[in-house]
Amino acid sequence: MIKFIENVGDKTITSLSSLYEAIEFTLICLGHMIQPKSYNPAMRMVLTKQIYFTAVTIIPLFIMMAFLFGSVIIGVVISLATEYSLQDQIGSIIVTFVIDEFSPFFTALLISLRSGTAVNTEIAVMNVNKELNMLKEYNINLIDYLFLPRIISGIISVTSLSILFAIIMLSSGYLFTLFYMNMDLHTYKYLLLDAIEVKDLIVLLVKSIAFGFATMLIPIYSGFKMANSYTTIPISVLNGMVKLFIAIFFIEVLSLVIQSL
Amino acid sequence: MLENIALIREVHTLMPTSKAQELANQYLQKINLDSIGTKRLNQCSSLEIFYVMCIRALMMDAKTVIIETPYAIVDNLRDIASVLENISILNFTNKKILILDTQNNQIHYKGCKCNTAK
Repeated sequence: MIKFIENVGDKTITSLSSLYEAIEFTLICLGHMIQPKSYNPAMRMVLTKQIYFTAVTIIPLFIMMAFLFGSVIIGVVISLATEYSLQDQIGSIIVTFVIDEFSPFFTALLISLRSGTAVNTEIAVMNVNKELNMLKEYNINLIDYLFLPRIISGIISVTSLSILFAIIMLSSGYLFTLFYMNMDLHTYKYLLLDAIEVKDLIVLLVKSIAFGFATMLIPIYSGFKMANSYTTIPISVLNGMVKLFIAIFFIEVLSLVIQSL
Repeated sequence: MLENIALIREVHTLMPTSKAQELANQYLQKINLDSIGTKRLNQCSSLEIFYVMCIRALMMDAKTVIIETPYAIVDNLRDIASVLENISILNFTNKKILILDTQNNQIHYKGCKCNTAK
């Protein structure tokens, strides 16, 4: 019994100290983000490259996926709305579903799978190869040079790609309204413009920023805090990805709770 | 390699990237290594990487540069004199350079212009 209590206590202390360290790391990164001196030429160069690799190179695949997934899902939503005689509400249903929920969530998942894993592995390998120590020896701040550009590129990439995804999805929605409801472009356009509110745009931006921040911060932290051996790299990536997906679902649930208040 | 060398000035003196890379290239040209400027780490020999590390160290604000066991860093290093000559070419700011090595390697430093102490 005492052993059991000791184990529970030990795990609780370990979990709480890990949580404290993670929160501390997040606050340090946020602190660096608002300091102008963090934005040195080397950091800006890394930031530009990161935005290119995270947001630009993915665009052709992203447009294709947005069109395919977007068309199918928006088709299902429209057909269900028609089936339950909710044609009057179709504009607000599309706007809420596409802008508030699906676009930022799907974009965050895609960026997590593509760039989150890459960043986690990159930092973990640099850690094992002692490259992080080498940078510290040259008085180069790891947060400014390595972490901040990746976090900012995550925020910029997820936000911009979410907006792109929403635009593509709303465009593909027109095809389905035309097919199911014989709606012309003019009517569809005014339907959306009537339904869209400033709140929807704020939700899209805030959620995208939160997703982008988590998408890069968690893999970076996971790679940075791993033990120094090659065999722990896959474990670090695995743990980082699990934590990242939990964080994405947590943000999604939190946003739903806040919106329902 | 240019990016690696330029990084020091970009971070410590906020030098613009283009200028810092130009300066890095000038350092490499001094020891006829400008060909490695566009190469990545895995494409360079251990001697070339050693020189890049030296340039980065010499670009720092510190007045003393300590090189620890060059024979352990550079594979199959035979002629330390040429390495020391290149380091002195790079060290135009007259930083104090200390080389720490084991007594086993003492023989390699015989005849070199540097001062040796046990």
